[in-house]
Amino acid sequence: MKCYRVFFAVWVVVASLSAADLPALWAERLKCVVAVEFFTETEVDRRPNVVFGVVVDTQGTIILPAAAIDSRVVPAQLKEFKVYRPSDPASAAGVYLGQDALTGWHFVRVEERLRPLLTPITQFVASGNAAEPSLAEEVWGIALRGKDEDFTPYFLQSRVALIQSLPQRTGIAQHEVAGPGLPVFNRDGSFVGLALSSFGQTFLQFSRADRGGSPTMLINVEESSVFHLTVEVLPYLSRVPQNEFGRPLAWLGAYGFEPMDREVATFLKLDAQSGAVVSEVLEGSPAEKAGMQARDIVLEINGRALPRFKPDRVVVSFVEREVERRVPGAPLSLTVLRGTERVDVKVTLGDEPKLMREAARRYFERLGFTAREFVYGDAISRRLKVADTAGIVAHFVKGNSPVSVAGLRMDDWIKEIDGVEPKSFAEAVEKLAAIQADAARTEFVLLVGRAGETAVLRVKLK
Amino acid sequence: MSRGFNRLLDAVVRIDVREVAFESGAQRYVSSIGSGVILSADGLVLTNAHVASPRAVELSITLSNLERVSAKLVGWDHWTDLALLRIDVADAQRRGLKFAIAEFGDSAKLFPGQTVFAVGTPHGLTRTVTRGIISNNNRYFEDTNGVNGYETGAFNTWLQTDAAINPGNSGGPLVTEDGRVVGISSRGYLGANNLGFAIPSSIARRIVDGLVAEGSITRSTIGLVPGALQDLENFYALALNTGVLINSVALGSPAARAGLRGGDILLAIDGVKVDGRFPEQLPPIQNLIANQPVGAKLRLTYKRGAQTAEVSVTTEKLESRVGEEWAFEKWGLSVRRVSRTFARENQLSSDNGVIVIGVQAGFPAEVAGLSRGDVITKINRQPVDALAVMQSAHAAFEAKPAPTLIEAQRDRRVSLYILKP
Repeated sequence: MKCYRVFFAVWVVVASLSAADLPALWAERLKCVVAVEFFTETEVDRRPNVVFGVVVDTQGTIILPAAAIDSRVVPAQLKEFKVYRPSDPASAAGVYLGQDALTGWHFVRVEERLRPLLTPITQFVASGNAAEPSLAEEVWGIALRGKDEDFTPYFLQSRVALIQSLPQRTGIAQHEVAGPGLPVFNRDGSFVGLALSSFGQTFLQFSRADRGGSPTMLINVEESSVFHLTVEVLPYLSRVPQNEFGRPLAWLGAYGFEPMDREVATFLKLDAQSGAVVSEVLEGSPAEKAGMQARDIVLEINGRALPRFKPDRVVVSFVEREVERRVPGAPLSLTVLRGTERVDVKVTLGDEPKLMREAARRYFERLGFTAREFVYGDAISRRLKVADTAGIVAHFVKGNSPVSVAGLRMDDWIKEIDGVEPKSFAEAVEKLAAIQADAARTEFVLLVGRAGETAVLRVKLK
Repeated sequence: MSRGFNRLLDAVVRIDVREVAFESGAQRYVSSIGSGVILSADGLVLTNAHVASPRAVELSITLSNLERVSAKLVGWDHWTDLALLRIDVADAQRRGLKFAIAEFGDSAKLFPGQTVFAVGTPHGLTRTVTRGIISNNNRYFEDTNGVNGYETGAFNTWLQTDAAINPGNSGGPLVTEDGRVVGISSRGYLGANNLGFAIPSSIARRIVDGLVAEGSITRSTIGLVPGALQDLENFYALALNTGVLINSVALGSPAARAGLRGGDILLAIDGVKVDGRFPEQLPPIQNLIANQPVGAKLRLTYKRGAQTAEVSVTTEKLESRVGEEWAFEKWGLSVRRVSRTFARENQLSSDNGVIVIGVQAGFPAEVAGLSRGDVITKINRQPVDALAVMQSAHAAFEAKPAPTLIEAQRDRRVSLYILKP
């Protein structure tokens, strides 16, 4: 009897993936995936990167997952985008369009020549399909081999194990179901989600971590078992950045949201209410102007209570996304608990101050470091009054270079060069360039700030 | 050996210490062994601060005749790694115990190459004598947590010797051939051969006097972190042997409030010229400030760029970054008071609060998610401006366990936690 049952089960699986239709679906859907190669040029090296993306329109627009590009890398360091179709060693040129603040996606556009050979993922959206895959449903996807194997596609298949709001609707399959950044389909061939990279945000979100504990999870970097459902993908495909930095970027200026857990909520007589504690309100920010205070607990946004998530910490991303999805100038009404009192804070979102990745920078080869413009975030991270700050930041320090030997480290704040405080980045660059150009120079002196202390560094030039 | 040396041997003692440690979320007792030397007929024993500290709950002295007698801490000074104990003389007399008294020699007269002996209890081996020479008589090194987490070395230089100094030698005397104490053996370099260090007797004598008089050493500070000028005189357009580099100024300190900055050159204090060309010259300069009474007004002459200027600075009391410690056993939580120095170094907005230094697994603090390094700022919405605030909350919890709300900061993030019964 047992024998029969096993036989029956096998028969069902075979029937459901009938040999005729799946290869056809596969072949059709291969046209919406690409491999994207680009180089990251730093001061001292040039590294190739290969990531996977999905085609989203007929204009040759491709989206890459957030973690496809290291967040420390600035757009100016990204070079030579090339787009490959699966199994095809020929490449087409691509242009980097920028990163979207809300989704984190990087957008790339491929040259016209290749566009007719590509199919947008939107072609595979089932009509009226907002439905989520159900638990235990079979899903499959595409993964790509490496460049040395001509990005040969291969088939992955799994079943949906769990669907969670993190805060995006996210499917977690039993095991790897697609390459990171590549689409996931159901048995009918309908697009059901976009596989996430195993790095970055997902690394934290899906790992088991106590507050402050270190995440522990083994990661397969080439394949992913986690995907955002279509409801988190389709509405955002048109968010093509207007510039490399994804501006305009909405700014609230409340820093360090921390989740309020269930026990704290009970203690504060908030029942099952979800909330996020504001750690700091930043100087000159829209939050400060609206009267928000450190230690306020955000309970509602625009009159709607914050949803309760599992785990609690997801509420932090939820609040941050509520800001990111808006534009500068938009109103945002927050209800906060201050002490024992409920207070309404009406914020008009501002324009994000210049980010570190937007800051001007210049590499000084002979000295051995990259000078970067001092921006708002530098003042905040060093707890300085924004108005009091001058100087530059050591963005990169080359090993064994003169400044490195003198003790300069990455992210040091250079307050003075040869005893003079530079009034602007341009002035600092001019001064450093003069030192670098002066072959007779044997030394110069930097006053450097690090963790609230200063040190005088004497740099010997050979 | 000389008569003096033999007498010295009878003045060296072994010290067994039982002290309380708070780090594990509970009070634990740990034992250790050190050495010491008897200085007076009324039973004063000099040893290292890292041997006997205020955490000691039991101090037992083994005299050279192997008899044991108890002792009490008179005071300690971690900056120079010295502590002073007093033997229970009444008990010793009752039992007819005799001990010899050591005499100080003049450490200023020592010369490199001079033979010295270290006497002590290395690894518990009582009355061990090792021999070596003075390798360097003016060694500078500072350590921000060298004495069980406390700062040391800013106000003294050290004698360096190749006489073997092992764990347990700590607090024992370094003596000349005539048996005079020229130093207190303090530390050796781990993983090195025969690099031992001792506090010179010239420093020790002053500290002993201070501890006898007041039980502690009060120093003044203005928050300057000096640096050696070495070859920077040219850059700052200074004559050789002039001035000391101000490497850093502690945030919020009197010097910072007076407008001094890193990169300034300090030329004189109250008109007395200072010379900080080499690191060995820094402790005397530090002492120039430290020896002023707290609240004294100092006139500092300094150079910034081409300008020379004067500024008046009022000294404040020097404090360790290590604050008072306590364990709340029902919560499985050990804390250390945030000191002014700690608050400044970590750019905290105030010096309220306590730092979590340990949690015990399975106890309320650990279950709530608190961990080492968190700074607890409020308990049940009340600011933790004294250890007593925590202590009374803990007492209330002990009497009637109820959920307790904790506000704590990790790096710059503020979180709320509930300690549940």
